[in-house]
Amino acid sequence: MTAAQGFEPRIIGFLCTWCSYAGADQAGGSQKPYPPNLSVVRVMCSGRVDPQFILSAFANGADGVIIMACHPGDCHYKEGNCRALQRYSMLCRVLETFGIEKERIRLEYVSASEGEIFRRIVHETVSSLRGLGPLVLPD
Amino acid sequence: MKIGIYVCTCGSTLSRTIDVPSIAQAALSFPDSPSVTTMDFICSENGRRQFEDHLKQEQPERVVVAACSPRDHETTFRRCMTNAGLNPYLLQMVNIREQIAWVTEDPDAATEKAIVAIRGAVNRVKLQQPLEKMQCEICPDVLVIGAGPAGMKAALALAEAGRTVTVVERLPFIGGLPVRFDELFPACECAPCLLDPLMGDLLHGEFDGTVELLTMAELAEVTGFYGAFNVTIRQRARHVSLHECIGCGACVEACPAATMNEFRNGTVERKAIDFAFAGALPSVPTLMEDTCVRSRGEECQACKDICPMGRDVIDLDQPDSILERHVGAIILATGAGLYDASLVTGMGKGVFSDVYDSCEFERMLSSTGPTDGQIITSRGTTPSSIAIIHCVGSLDPEHKPYCSGICCQYAFIFNHLISDRLPGTAITHFHRELVLPGKEAHSLAQQARHNQNTRFVRYESIHDLAVTATDDGKLAIHASGKLTTGDMVILCPPVIPSSGAGKIASILDIKRDQSGFFRELHGRTDAAQSPVRGIYLAGACQDPMDIRSAMLQGMASAGHVLAALKPGGIIDIEPITAEVDETRCSGCRLCISVCPYRAITFNHSHNASEINAILCRGCGTCVAACPAGAIKGHHFTSDQITAEIKGLLS
Repeated sequence: MTAAQGFEPRIIGFLCTWCSYAGADQAGGSQKPYPPNLSVVRVMCSGRVDPQFILSAFANGADGVIIMACHPGDCHYKEGNCRALQRYSMLCRVLETFGIEKERIRLEYVSASEGEIFRRIVHETVSSLRGLGPLVLPD
Repeated sequence: MKIGIYVCTCGSTLSRTIDVPSIAQAALSFPDSPSVTTMDFICSENGRRQFEDHLKQEQPERVVVAACSPRDHETTFRRCMTNAGLNPYLLQMVNIREQIAWVTEDPDAATEKAIVAIRGAVNRVKLQQPLEKMQCEICPDVLVIGAGPAGMKAALALAEAGRTVTVVERLPFIGGLPVRFDELFPACECAPCLLDPLMGDLLHGEFDGTVELLTMAELAEVTGFYGAFNVTIRQRARHVSLHECIGCGACVEACPAATMNEFRNGTVERKAIDFAFAGALPSVPTLMEDTCVRSRGEECQACKDICPMGRDVIDLDQPDSILERHVGAIILATGAGLYDASLVTGMGKGVFSDVYDSCEFERMLSSTGPTDGQIITSRGTTPSSIAIIHCVGSLDPEHKPYCSGICCQYAFIFNHLISDRLPGTAITHFHRELVLPGKEAHSLAQQARHNQNTRFVRYESIHDLAVTATDDGKLAIHASGKLTTGDMVILCPPVIPSSGAGKIASILDIKRDQSGFFRELHGRTDAAQSPVRGIYLAGACQDPMDIRSAMLQGMASAGHVLAALKPGGIIDIEPITAEVDETRCSGCRLCISVCPYRAITFNHSHNASEINAILCRGCGTCVAACPAGAIKGHHFTSDQITAEIKGLLS
């Protein structure tokens, strides 16, 4: 697939409130810019991220989705991030069978003190999706 | 639906990057054409008042505040909603500061992103429902399991605060492990003396009547939940009345039957009716049924006949009893044990009688131990050289991967006591790392270093060491090819949870970590709470720890109980919880397996899962797991989140 000229991907990020959302806030505190392509949906725990939310994001025009969770072992709700990982792995396989590239969906661990990592992930995802071009859903 | 959008300019912090009038313009095209009000510093005292007045005047059905992070001020603005007579859960915040204005270079892009985010919030807030905090009556009484340092400290703190406490202790005596020791690190204090004030208060203190002590008792069953646990306790018969016995020991003298005493290293006899050891509290003997000659069918009432307090003090036919208690919280203080050093091959434990583990040596040092405090070999001779081997199974993936943090310190107490009681005895410490944390630990180590009869030999791996016997009956410690002989070897194995922890974990359905310690809610911020609400952790059942830490954690667990289960017996239940729609539940029980808080049970008569709102912490994992879509996560419903996604992408 070739990238569309001047294409700006739309990305939905599901951020757990205790670590990743706090990490995104920390990135804000340092006031270093990153691309505006990510729209954040705050959830209490990454374990709340229903695969249907991701499908819904793609169906409504998202070109990419990121789930951001606490690091393994750090989950505020003990093991919600492990559940998120299990569901993510399953969903990746399902999406591939529908022809949706696995690069369009990411699961990343971002702690409350990792604003810089959050910024890096947004940069990486935007540039990877720019390369990948807009999502074309199968008929 | 009347929706009010409030945009905070946060001084010029936001308006510098985001064009606020464009937001108002864009909002006109949103569904329901919400009104947009711009305010400055809504979080300030003035701002809050203005915001509340505006809400009161306009009475919007739903409210969106576009400002800073909800982590900063969601609670503040929810309070404003309440003050204005609106339900606080009809508010949605949009983080246009930390996640937009401060991180977006191009003002047009920032404005556009803010509009998109507000559109998502408007879509979401329309589906938000008013939620109310529920209240539940609770029982303020507390069950403490374990009467060691942590359990006693917790029980007494609770009693001091006026709570009724039941203390369950598996053994016939209180004081835990250290009551059996002699001197303690770091200050060489006498262990029973240090514990005596607590034991005295527990047994005869001013809280008599509010603290109930059940010795020889164990947890049998627990039902219910935080605030309302029903506890069944099985208490073995002591056969001697705790209240009437004066501890004179006449029955012990008269008793004809004997066995080996486990509390004196199993090397000294005790009578069938006897004290665990001299000075064990409560000072009331215990009749061991299987040692008593009556267990062999013989008729004997020698103890009963001789008791100076009358024939009712000893009840030879006393049955075990089952007791029921109703409590609001449970503190686990089940204490520590010692890893079996005989599992570490080559150390000679269980092979040579003069190889002791540290608990056995503690007993030897104690005046209530098997040798009345004398350091002597199994042959009755005075040792002239003693080896102390640190880290026997610690920091070792084949045994226990962790450092217990206390062994080096008690090893130096051993050094001090051996040198004091047997001056001139050669002592060799075989060690890997030396762990001496805190402001006091170094002094005993320094004392050992300056002791001319003490040697330090560092080893890399326990496989480099071996304990064998010499031809003349001594022990030989081989360390990387070098040989040290000794009359006695003391092994310092890792601290592990006490043997009862597994059973308690299965009764309470709480988790243990890979080393068997009870899992805490959070290792740093909430180490005194278990993940199950209402069950707290104190002492070495949670992590290897010294007496000071155990006592502090006992206080911490008591503090948690006092803060949460308030007098008057009411607890608030947060409304952000999950709820099962019985009619849609297929009964697969996947939700039960993913809930980290044991909040979900299966109701067999309804053939559906049921969520206890008191135990639920609102993570929503079960909601995402339910294949039937039968679980609703209040305030984070699938409809609300999907609406937000659509709003962000439309």
